[in-house]
Parts: sequence; structure tokens; C-alpha cells
Amino acid sequence: MSDPVGHQGPAAGGPPAAGGSAGSPQSPENVEYRVAHLQERLAAEELGELGVRAEIRAGAVAVTGTVPSARCRETVLRVAREELAGLTVHTDVVVAETTSPDHAEEL
Amino acid sequence: MIRVAAVGDIHMGPDSQGLLRPAFETLPDCADVLLLAGDLTRHGTPEEARVVAREVRDLPVPVVAVLGNHDHHDEQPGKVTAILREAGVTVLEGEHTVVDCAGGRVGIAGAKGFGGGFVGRSAGEFGEPVMKEFVRTTRRSADSLHAALKELDEEDCAARVALTHFSPVADTLAGEPPEIHPFLGSYLLAEAIDTAGADLAVHGHAHLGAEHGMTAGGVRVRNVAQPVIRRAFNVYRLGAS
Repeated sequence: MSDPVGHQGPAAGGPPAAGGSAGSPQSPENVEYRVAHLQERLAAEELGELGVRAEIRAGAVAVTGTVPSARCRETVLRVAREELAGLTVHTDVVVAETTSPDHAEEL
Repeated sequence: MIRVAAVGDIHMGPDSQGLLRPAFETLPDCADVLLLAGDLTRHGTPEEARVVAREVRDLPVPVVAVLGNHDHHDEQPGKVTAILREAGVTVLEGEHTVVDCAGGRVGIAGAKGFGGGFVGRSAGEFGEPVMKEFVRTTRRSADSLHAALKELDEEDCAARVALTHFSPVADTLAGEPPEIHPFLGSYLLAEAIDTAGADLAVHGHAHLGAEHGMTAGGVRVRNVAQPVIRRAFNVYRLGAS
């Protein structure tokens, strides 16, 4: 799922947005730290989530992973929007499947 | 034939009560025992442990578990263990249990395990005290798993299963960034499994990993983290061939 939350400039891998400079919110080095801070928040707050990846891809941030419930997914998306405000974010966060298996593996 | 159901990393919280119970109630149709490979909770709080306890209480098959790193986060693993045991779960940490199944006795040796990495790319017991303690923690866990598996030699089991949270092999980490493999498992666990002997090793922890792997000694390894198997549990039939 693509969930653009802003188009103020490339997240990384390209020239800074107009008016951007080293140290601005859109500069590549700051985007890297913002991604790290997102992952710290996901681990530290109510989610305790270590299984969601956030990576800089083609000028945007891709947030991917499997979470245990629909509420967790909503929280991950909300926190990502907050931490990465102003950046283009693509999310592919799914809820873990809970159906019984339809076959067994013979060992 | 012995039918082993397994899942790890169910990460239950108050909002997930009831999500797995409908599938778990089908277990008697397809399995003799349910193994839970750690990270049953998100933060290891008693409240979350009670969610897990309610989810598995009075299931018609025995439930055997190890804890994971998330179940330690609130620093109350003893309380989490007690809540699960009160609900009828056999929680193993360097211990074994035997389940009588229609197809024979299955022995399960369990320990959480820890990290350190894999041969040629592993942490060493050297240098700063905290680094040495990191590796010693894994070594102690692996030694306890070895001892628990050896105890099963006296139990006349048709099959033996090693249950951990951390991975014994790198095979089942395929899909995870290689840089974090030392935080996902240790070859010391595989060495314990190979030297003591087992028919199957089951673990969780690596959400982005792969299901299938094998130790250097030829023991089949299955990563049953729920995001990997994409089901409420998987079933492995031992001794079918």
C-alpha cells in the first residue's frame, strides 16, 4: 500500500529539495536519523515493535512488516506519519494471519 | 506418527484477545501438542501474559512454551511464567517434558537461547565484561538445552524436539539483514542440538526469516514465527515416513 504523507522533497538519494541544505529536515543525513528515531519509537512505546522495517528507497521511506493486530497496524502508521512528516512514505504493513493450516509437513 | 503444532511470536496484547483461539480449538483434529516458541507477549507484562493464558487455557492438547526476549522486557519473566503455568502451559527454560501421544512419546527440551551469531561471524567471549557476559548468557542457555535434550535419553521417546526462541542456524534467518544475525541466534544452540541429538528444532524470533533450515549435523530446523508461517500455527508430522 502506498501512503504518501507529503511531497516536500526526496527523502534520500537525490539532491535536496529547493531551499534544502545540509542539516535541513530533508537532507539525506537527517532522513537517516529520522528513520532511526521512528524505529526507536516503535520499539519503545506501547507497541514494543521490533519487526517493522523502515528503509530509504528511491527517495521515499518504505515502512514494511507484519504486526499482531489491526490496532497495532493503525498505531504503526500513525507513528510513521508523525515521525516522517513532510517525507514521502510508502507503507506495506500487514496484520498477522490467524487461520489454521490446511496441511501438515511430513518429516 | 507424532503431530507437532507450533507457532512463535504471537505478541499478544489486550487488543488481540480471541484472535488465535478459534484456530487453536481446531488443534485436536490435526495435532497432539502445541509448541509456543517465545515472544508470546509484546512487553512481558503480567497483563499481557494473562491475555496469552486465556487464549490457551483448557485447550484439548498439551501446550509447551519457552519465553522470548519480549517476554523479558518488563523484567518479570518469573511472573509471566507463573501466569502461563497456572493456565496449564508447561514453560521450559533449560528443562524437558514428555507428552504421551497416540503415536508415541514425544520429548521436548526447551530454552529461550540468545544471540552471538554464527560460525565465522560470531561474537567472542573476550574483552569488556558486558561483551563476555553476552556470550556467556548464550553459552549457559545452550548448555542447559543440551542437558535437557540428554535427559530425554532416559525417557524412551519416539521423537525429540528442541524448542527455542532464538535461532540455532542462519538458514532460517534468510530475509533478515545479515548485519543483525548476531542478535537473532547462535551456532552454540545448534551445536547443543547436534551433540545431544534431536529430530526437529523449532524456533521463532526472526519475523523476516524463512521457515526451513537444517543444522550442520542434519537436524531439521523450522522457524515458526507467526509472520513467517502466516498462519495461527504450522503442523509437523514426525515419523510419518
